[in-house]
Amino acid sequence: MSEQPGGAMRLPQQPGEVIDRTTTIDFSWNGRPFTGFAGDTIASALAAAGERVFSRSLKYHRPRGVLTASYHDPGCIVQVGDEPNVRGAHRMVSAGAAVTSQNTWPSLRLDLKAVNQYAAPVLTAGFYYKTFMRPRFAWPLYEAVLRRFVNGGRVSPDTPPSRQAKRYAHPDVLVAGGGPAGMAAALAAARAGASVLLVEEELHLGGHLRWGDEADLAALANLAAQVAAEPRIEVLTDAVVLGRYDGNWIAVLERRGALGGAEAERLVKARAKTLVVAPGLIERPYVFAGNDLPGVMLSTAVRRLINLYAVKPGERAVVLSANPEGDAAVADLKRAGVQVLRVEDARLGGDIVAAAGRACLRSVTVADGSQISCDLLVIAAGWTAPTSLLNMAGAVPAYSPRAARFVPDIAGLPPEVLVTGGLAGDGSLDELTGHASAAGAEAARRAKHIGRAWRRAMPGSRADAVRSEGGADTTDPSDDAQAVLPDLPVDSHPELFVGRTNGFVDFSEDVTAKDLRAAVAEGFDSAELAKRFTTATMGPLQGKLESVNAAAVVADAIGTSIAESGTTTWRPPYVPVSLGALAGPAFEPVRYSPMQPWHEAHGAVPLQAGAWIRPDHYGDPAAEARNVRERVGLIDVTPIGKLDLRGPDVARLLNLVYVNKWSKLEIGRVRYGVMCAEDGVVLDDGVTGRLGEDHYLMSTTSSGAGAIWEWVENWLQTERPDWVVHVTPVTTAYASMNVAGPHTRTLMERVTEGVDLSNDAFPYMHVRTGRIAGVDECVLWRIGFTGELSYELHVPASYGLHVWETLLDVGADLGAAAFGVEAQRILRLEKGHFIVGQDTDGLTRGFSAALDWAIKLDKDDFAGKPELVWQHEDSSGPRLVGLQPADGSVVPAEASLIMVGDHIAGRVTSSRMSPTLGRSVCLAQVEARLAEPGTEVTVRLPTGRLITALVTPHLAHVDPDGGRMRV
Amino acid sequence: MSEPLAHSPIRPPEPVVMSGWEVSGRRAAGQLTLTDCTPLTKVLLRADVAGPAASEVGVPFGRARRNADGVLVVGSGPGEWLLLGPPGQARQIRASLDEVTGEPEPVSVTDLTHGRALIRLTGERAADVLSAVCGVDLSDAVTPDGAAFRTAVAALATDVVRDDVAGVRSYLLHCERSSGQYLFDALTSAGRDLGIEIDGFQAQGF
Repeated sequence: MSEQPGGAMRLPQQPGEVIDRTTTIDFSWNGRPFTGFAGDTIASALAAAGERVFSRSLKYHRPRGVLTASYHDPGCIVQVGDEPNVRGAHRMVSAGAAVTSQNTWPSLRLDLKAVNQYAAPVLTAGFYYKTFMRPRFAWPLYEAVLRRFVNGGRVSPDTPPSRQAKRYAHPDVLVAGGGPAGMAAALAAARAGASVLLVEEELHLGGHLRWGDEADLAALANLAAQVAAEPRIEVLTDAVVLGRYDGNWIAVLERRGALGGAEAERLVKARAKTLVVAPGLIERPYVFAGNDLPGVMLSTAVRRLINLYAVKPGERAVVLSANPEGDAAVADLKRAGVQVLRVEDARLGGDIVAAAGRACLRSVTVADGSQISCDLLVIAAGWTAPTSLLNMAGAVPAYSPRAARFVPDIAGLPPEVLVTGGLAGDGSLDELTGHASAAGAEAARRAKHIGRAWRRAMPGSRADAVRSEGGADTTDPSDDAQAVLPDLPVDSHPELFVGRTNGFVDFSEDVTAKDLRAAVAEGFDSAELAKRFTTATMGPLQGKLESVNAAAVVADAIGTSIAESGTTTWRPPYVPVSLGALAGPAFEPVRYSPMQPWHEAHGAVPLQAGAWIRPDHYGDPAAEARNVRERVGLIDVTPIGKLDLRGPDVARLLNLVYVNKWSKLEIGRVRYGVMCAEDGVVLDDGVTGRLGEDHYLMSTTSSGAGAIWEWVENWLQTERPDWVVHVTPVTTAYASMNVAGPHTRTLMERVTEGVDLSNDAFPYMHVRTGRIAGVDECVLWRIGFTGELSYELHVPASYGLHVWETLLDVGADLGAAAFGVEAQRILRLEKGHFIVGQDTDGLTRGFSAALDWAIKLDKDDFAGKPELVWQHEDSSGPRLVGLQPADGSVVPAEASLIMVGDHIAGRVTSSRMSPTLGRSVCLAQVEARLAEPGTEVTVRLPTGRLITALVTPHLAHVDPDGGRMRV
Repeated sequence: MSEPLAHSPIRPPEPVVMSGWEVSGRRAAGQLTLTDCTPLTKVLLRADVAGPAASEVGVPFGRARRNADGVLVVGSGPGEWLLLGPPGQARQIRASLDEVTGEPEPVSVTDLTHGRALIRLTGERAADVLSAVCGVDLSDAVTPDGAAFRTAVAALATDVVRDDVAGVRSYLLHCERSSGQYLFDALTSAGRDLGIEIDGFQAQGF
């Protein structure tokens, strides 16, 4: 470090610099304090201070430094505080940041894991397929050792989770890439009336103009000002298009830099009518010995460091140039005061043979054999065309040997995807922006056409229903002519992939040209196979720097051309994305009853039942159950499915979906029904009451509420469209509560008006409407799941809490107390009432659920009838029976098996200790031969212990005649 | 026995009583607001999708319009209309529908005042809030003022009506009642970074 402000390698003010010299930022690097300027990246601030080594490579732990000085730089991946895998050449310095190198031990400088280099012959590509396998018992040791060498940073388990939102966007035109072509296309599209989303990977718009000459900077300022002034363009910087899916469903990742606040990455899901792909070109390395040494950089890295960050990349440089951008880098180097010792012009036969050094570059051997000592080697060997979005759109690019890169197959693109900029071809800035403007205007025209077609397909989109802003939605025939964009010229470029010596192809995965050749020799003789075996292109860069070089090595090894052997497939995501961004916020709907505040205030233990939160109990479920049998209890059963059915054909619908008969249900009566599916399997059960001539209220199980609504609508809409039935779900329009116990009538008489509650006037299995606790239009029906005198009340939901509290208050002297789901389970089991899905399963047909009395096979066709007829004829199926263990103190676990010798003959489906009887009671599914009352069966407990149990004469263990319900 | 007090599924900050409902007494300072409008009367009309009742109601599927009585009639589904009015108006609205006949097809009228949680989201940036939790295109070309659609908002089946207030973008969102608190929380969370505020119910616009 030196005393010079900004660092030893900091240059004086550069015209295009993005740093703010008036603001300094202090941070630490591997524990040492450093200072950068606002606008510096971590790498530029460190490079300005003279640092050259930023990381150690994955496998061999070779020292690495700046290669591209962009997001994609493989040598600059660092840890910032608790955040691993930070792109150090893209992330800006922040005050107080603790930046460290990843997976180096004990330090970056002296990384003992570099011992791997000496083991290189054993650690060739794919070594893990051949080594560390035997003896097998030593695998835990191998794993522990290998884990130490994995290079992925650290995440503390104490990191607080970040809340990452998502966003949906619907731009007319999405432009991927904010360089000059992207900006020109966005402007043209916006001026043609389209809404535009312009997505740029870097922190600023401008692409390569940002580190260009004066003319470039002026053009950049001009375009950027126009974009800023155009209200129809929304600009997302530090954002990248992750993938393009069918129908231009496009994922955009906004990274931290763009957002304030606690959010980290945010995923934007965009449905764009048209997509303009303008990502430019990505400079790639050249393969030769020593090409990964710190000090070997690409020409764009050098130009970025000098022009954006005012950092001198070295003192003594050798340059390999194969294109005008390389030449421009030479000019920049000279202007920055770097000694340019030699320029090898690849267009004239120049070449780099090898680079040498230990921790850093020390010398370079060039084509004529001379060895030049230097600290900077600048490579301008050519470009990767990032065609991934085009590949994802179905257009496979073709390799052009003349241009030494892949060019898009424009004809293969769907009409909603366009290409412009450097990806489409070369030319002057004016030619490129001219092409881009044409592309943008065409994208807007096509978007208008697509938008019209979508809106025409929308329901309710008559001309008077939907109008676009500012005018009628007319169709202009001239809009339908699809414009053909002129082709851009593609300049020739020398093919410069692999030099004369062996070097690194994939910097992230530490794969060399030798590894690839060895893979081909072993039989992995295609780009795809060689990739999978060596893992080349499978690192964080996903092929951006290495795919073409890898293809060249493989093609050469096979003896074909790149065009023939092909490259690997570009797949989404384009760049790595955190799982948190993909997951987004956790949308998990939760459902509460109106009485929830009371449950919470009274210590209810919550039970999660689907999306519902229900009170399981309030501390002592057995006591709650006893209170129902002896006094009066209140349970919140709001989740019970309720369907309001109106129309002349309701009775026909009921006859169709239920197994029993419904034609003669009088107004004011209620009937229990069971539904079976078309395979005869028990689907649901519930109680349906007739409230009026053509008005019924159906109840279903809680868990089946949604499914039965769909079931009923499916029948009405697809099978019986001529029936007139209006089905309205009112599951949550009513707060439902069951009041049960010997004192129920006394309690209800205190709060009910307009209903005669005497047993003669309002018998069991009837329904009335009236006023409860001052609330009108309540529905009361007398049913008996618990087996006691009970009323199920359906109260307009907003008044549920009021009625509930009133009942408990008014009934306090009667012992009125709440009971929860667990107590209800006990009570109904004592009464032998089965629960669909608990005492039946996906194979239990009607006659196996003790429903012989309910299934009316003499009805006309009903859902499940044919299967039930067959089942009835064949009486060998399983049966639902009541069971009592001989030892009443043993409560068999539910699903305990019923055995005959070694043969499984059934299972216990429900099992509880009965507080009423003081002994265990069960329901079970058993083979028909065991179903006779009095049969002794053997139950195998989960511990393996065998106990005996007796089949009871009725399913009900308590009050089998049902007298208690009918008082 | 106390007078019946109606509760919304959405717990109100700073509760007060208005029109027999417990509502929030809070008043927002900014202009991006979320209001629990559950107390509004909601009546569901069902009739044949293209019959005489549909013509008489005169609001097509996918649209919402105020009628002469100031009731917002929403074409919420084929053959289905939801009428929204001030609190306590169920009887009047049902009576007005008694005159609507679908002869020979039957017409049914159901009071869903208590069955739906209803929320109003208002502000210039209301669409930015909604687009964090809803995938429908909220541009004027697709869902202008008066558009009605049924979609998933924060993974919950929700009806949405664009009902601008005095030229300011506004959406009515409603879902089955028991998920009301969840929907309200999802919208609050989505609007947090934009400074959304809870505004108490005052029957605005009805």
